[in-house]
Amino acid sequence: MSTEATTLRVIIAAFTDFLTVAIHTILYERAIYPPTSFLSARKYNLSVRQNRHPKVCEWINDAVSAVETELLKGVVGRVAIVIYTKDNHPVERFMLDVSRFPTVALADLDTPLERTAANGDRLPILPRIDMEEQFRATLSRLASCSSTLKPLPEGCVFNIAVELKQDGQPPLNHPQPWMPVQSAKGDAVGGQLQKKAVPVRSIAAGELLLECWIEEADGAS
Amino acid sequence: MAQDYAEYLAINVLNEQQLISYRSLSRALKVHVNLAKQMLYEFHRKQNAKKPGSVHATYLITGIRREQTPAQTNGVHSQKDGEDTVMQSSPPLPESSAPVPEESAEEPVVVRSVLLVKEEHLAQAKTTFESITGIHIYSLQANGLNDVQSLTECNRKIAVDYASEDPLVAWKQYGTIQNPNVKRRTARKGPPPAAPVTKPAEVKLKQPAPAAKSTVPEKQASKDSNTNSQDSTTAASKRASKPPSAKATPEPTKKPAAVKRQDSNIFMSFAKGKTKPQKEESQSSVEAATPAAEPEDETMAGFSDEEDDAAEEGAVADVGEVANEPEGKSKRQREAELEAMMDQEDEVMEDASPEKSADGDEGAIDKPNSQHPQQPAKDTIIVENGRRRGRRRVMKKKTVKDEDGYLVTKEEQAWESFSEEEPPPKKIKAQPAASTNKSAAAKKDGKPGQGNIMSFFGKK
Repeated sequence: MSTEATTLRVIIAAFTDFLTVAIHTILYERAIYPPTSFLSARKYNLSVRQNRHPKVCEWINDAVSAVETELLKGVVGRVAIVIYTKDNHPVERFMLDVSRFPTVALADLDTPLERTAANGDRLPILPRIDMEEQFRATLSRLASCSSTLKPLPEGCVFNIAVELKQDGQPPLNHPQPWMPVQSAKGDAVGGQLQKKAVPVRSIAAGELLLECWIEEADGAS
Repeated sequence: MAQDYAEYLAINVLNEQQLISYRSLSRALKVHVNLAKQMLYEFHRKQNAKKPGSVHATYLITGIRREQTPAQTNGVHSQKDGEDTVMQSSPPLPESSAPVPEESAEEPVVVRSVLLVKEEHLAQAKTTFESITGIHIYSLQANGLNDVQSLTECNRKIAVDYASEDPLVAWKQYGTIQNPNVKRRTARKGPPPAAPVTKPAEVKLKQPAPAAKSTVPEKQASKDSNTNSQDSTTAASKRASKPPSAKATPEPTKKPAAVKRQDSNIFMSFAKGKTKPQKEESQSSVEAATPAAEPEDETMAGFSDEEDDAAEEGAVADVGEVANEPEGKSKRQREAELEAMMDQEDEVMEDASPEKSADGDEGAIDKPNSQHPQQPAKDTIIVENGRRRGRRRVMKKKTVKDEDGYLVTKEEQAWESFSEEEPPPKKIKAQPAASTNKSAAAKKDGKPGQGNIMSFFGKK
């Protein structure tokens, strides 16, 4: 894979891999599913947790590919993994800011990207080792986050949300993978409650620029 | 020193919220692991005295456990991989135990367990032990450890960050368990390598290195490690990846010298007909150029050096002799010898001048007998070394110009240079251009040779 030219599609594919692993990690850490349903796997040279239940894996894969579709259109500002209580109140949000991905026209999705430094040197678009290292660090931080966060109430559920950029077209086609959520004040999902943000990590690997933080709703039950 | 560790731990554990194991602390501060364990304990005690619960510890208990209820013994005895351990959710202890020595099956088995416990479960874990032979802090972290598997990251980092340190030297400083009988393997007369010489050298270095080090991590794993099978295998594989990176650096420096040695050894083979041992010795000298300079390595290197000197002399002499031969010999033999010259770009140049002088002086000097045995010798060489595939192609071509011995030599030189992949040999072809129209014919023959070379590239 290192020999192929790095296009935006490749960058997005790397990100979606990371997103899948991050979702599994968060599910394990926040005990959304019982810990016995997770097996140990290895990704980016790190031991991670992966859920074993086929339906869970299927759902996650479908959700991530829907995110990928939106990413390829270049309209996504942030990806959020939201934890809700039984009453559908959002308690926590794990945010991934992807607004700094390179924006290319649809026709150029498979065009190799080039990046030059100020002095004209060619820089790698996606240095794999850096990227893996930073993904590893982020996942380690996510894995240890559960001890800093408040314990979740029983029976929490999770969902994936994408926040579009200002000029983004909402995905309203048939079949519709995304459900539009209206939020007051035009803010993101769960924006009403007072939030406390815990930074996790920011990733900068070539053109893959990403920020990750956790938002906790203070007023949660 | 005392201040360093407190500062280091404060930065890494509290500020950066990293997981620090006693091993990473010992590597970072270059201290013995037992001292590192004490440092961890001190820091933990002080920080928790200042602010309770600021630093969490994970302990390692070694000992003999009490007989446990059947529900739990499954985890202890059938412990094969970490996955099973983690799956056990009923006991509140996040355990990972590895029964190390087991006595005969008939008698009740005494199982020595190594247990990693979080500090909150420490007291409970201690009660499950009948006798404890050792207990120490394994790691410190700012917040509680949810997933014991995240400890594997510590060892991976060690393997990456400290890959440059030679474990055979560093074990005394760090206190790793070392088998006194272990030593690094030196020369290896393996099968002839593929085209790149360094690759097999590195591969062979990798093999002795993990063999040496697998004793070390296995012993460590048996003693006090996280018995996650991932941990020990990743540790072993990471340590295996360490030495090749360590040895890769001295290798490039030795490479050009080794290549030359190989070339002259090949020539020696033409001269005296013994190809294999010298070639292999030159290869082994490449591998022997490791940082752990053992006496065996030096003798080997010295030996091949001596061989090289003799080889070069023999090579020049032989070329001179061959150059003087007139027609009547099959070009194979001359091509064979001169093909060896193409490896040495410098030496080809040198040989050109003595050849000219020698040709002028002497007439036809027939050495058919010396040539014939060289032919089968050349055949063997071609078979062995992939790099000499090029020569094989030249042999088949066999441009034969028996009229003028002098020109023949030049032409064959050009031939061989063509069969070589490098562009510099093409410069040698430019040399005979100054001669008569027969050299034009030589060029013409060179073109099919170029076609051969292109097919050579195509194959590659």
